Amino acid sequence: MAREFTSSRGEPEVPSNTFAYFFREALRRIWISKRTSFVAVAMIAMSLFILGGFVLIAENLDRAVARWKDKSRVDVFFESEATPEQIHAVDAYLASHPNLRARRFVTREQAMAQFKRDFANLSGVVDQLDQNPFPPSYQNEVARNAVTHAPFNREMAELRALGGVEQVQYDWEWVARLQRLVDVVNLIGLIAGGILALAAAFTIANVIRLTMMMYREEIEIMRLVGATERIIRGPFIIEGIVQGTIGGACAVGLLYGLFELARRMIAPSSSLLWGFLFATFLPWQKIAAIIAGGTFAGWLGSWLSVRERVIEEA
Amino acid sequence: MIHFYHVTKRFDRYTSALHDITFQIEKGEFVFLTGASGAGKSTLLKLILRQIRPTDGQIVVNGRNLNAMKRKQVPFFRRELGMVFQDFKLIDRMTVFENLSFILTVLNVPPREHKKKAYHALRAVGLHHRLTAYPPQLSGGEQQRVAIARALINDPLVLIADEPTGNLDPDLSADIVQIFAEANLRGSTVLLATHDRDLIRSSGRRVITLEHGRLLEEKMPTVERTARGETLFGIGSA
Repeated sequence: MAREFTSSRGEPEVPSNTFAYFFREALRRIWISKRTSFVAVAMIAMSLFILGGFVLIAENLDRAVARWKDKSRVDVFFESEATPEQIHAVDAYLASHPNLRARRFVTREQAMAQFKRDFANLSGVVDQLDQNPFPPSYQNEVARNAVTHAPFNREMAELRALGGVEQVQYDWEWVARLQRLVDVVNLIGLIAGGILALAAAFTIANVIRLTMMMYREEIEIMRLVGATERIIRGPFIIEGIVQGTIGGACAVGLLYGLFELARRMIAPSSSLLWGFLFATFLPWQKIAAIIAGGTFAGWLGSWLSVRERVIEEA
Repeated sequence: MIHFYHVTKRFDRYTSALHDITFQIEKGEFVFLTGASGAGKSTLLKLILRQIRPTDGQIVVNGRNLNAMKRKQVPFFRRELGMVFQDFKLIDRMTVFENLSFILTVLNVPPREHKKKAYHALRAVGLHHRLTAYPPQLSGGEQQRVAIARALINDPLVLIADEPTGNLDPDLSADIVQIFAEANLRGSTVLLATHDRDLIRSSGRRVITLEHGRLLEEKMPTVERTARGETLFGIGSA
């Protein structure tokens, strides 16, 4: 018996049992259009692989920089004629500085002994000298991250003005440069990966467009029997999301495979730099972010294409 | 149930697909819509389904003004209608059951009820034994009956058919019209577009005739008897 017409207000636009249908349909459509789906997944995977590669290099360089920052040191060398008062004054200054940690006073004899240890083949030359050429010094550990602060660098330079100080040596300029390089690598990765991910999103959009063309008649039938746009669009959106997520996961898998391969095949026999580059793989947060990037690119691509179709149909 | 008030539909500036159409179809009626090809039958059905909007005039279906209906409300409105097409519009990759179940998913019917509802709808058209068949495995008449079962599965208030017998033999056409008549007896208002004058004549139902986009005078069938005493229906003045 025919029902009386009731208001559609309050009726859910997406029936509760429809999400299972979305997934079933999306997976079936991906399976049917295997080749085009493969292209979309491959595009996403390659884009995120490149992005992931940059992130991985930056990650390892960043860790190396962090390690070196921990080991940064400032050496204050005294003149031969420096008085104990002058040395005490410098000691007090170093003790009160917030960015300087533990310090060690190195006597002239200790400096010479250390030189002989470090450069054993030159110890004979030093022995021939009339007097000990090594000045006394303070070796100071520097607080982490302090080395990249400009005011700290200025203050260390100003140490030279203190009485009895001959030279102040700090070699962290290259650490700061490396830090800038890490930032640049990150930026390049983000820009290149972002552009490629966007291109991949458009590839997914085209794949979804093709799928929608294939299902044009079915969509027409759905509209005529009262399917809402959400029900019609749902499987296509899920299709894009699934393709993007698979692409992201493939990118991470590929990256990990190549990383392990490189670590085993190249790193042991190569330079220190390789050791830095292949020290560790990405942390899980970054892995999750790369996969989520694939999911987002997939969603964006499918959303763009279904939105376009809905506008056309309106 | 279906009210057209001075409805005009133009697709371009110079020609009207429909011109100043006014008629009413009451609840529970069974009405034929006829006219030659290009007379405007399909345009009129598209207007009822709210696939297109009129250029002028008002359309009210089941108390709802289609001109004022928002796009988001259209799907819910269409769920009150059943639609049958000349080309069946079945999904070939789905079985008969899946073709019906798919509609029930759209209509938010719980999956556990799909089989029962599909079975009943197919039994009403005599195809309950073909649940697992695919549309290409069925004859034209069987496919059309599946399409009707799909249209009837939600007990529609209005059943609209666009040339449902256009691809069928005369014997099968009579069977199909009989199924519509049974749906009409169960309470659905039926509007059946056809140019098969024999079918109209033999049914004895109200007829709305279009010609070049204009409504001709509505005709009611006249009853004639043959020399052997058989009843025949013709078209006379209302």
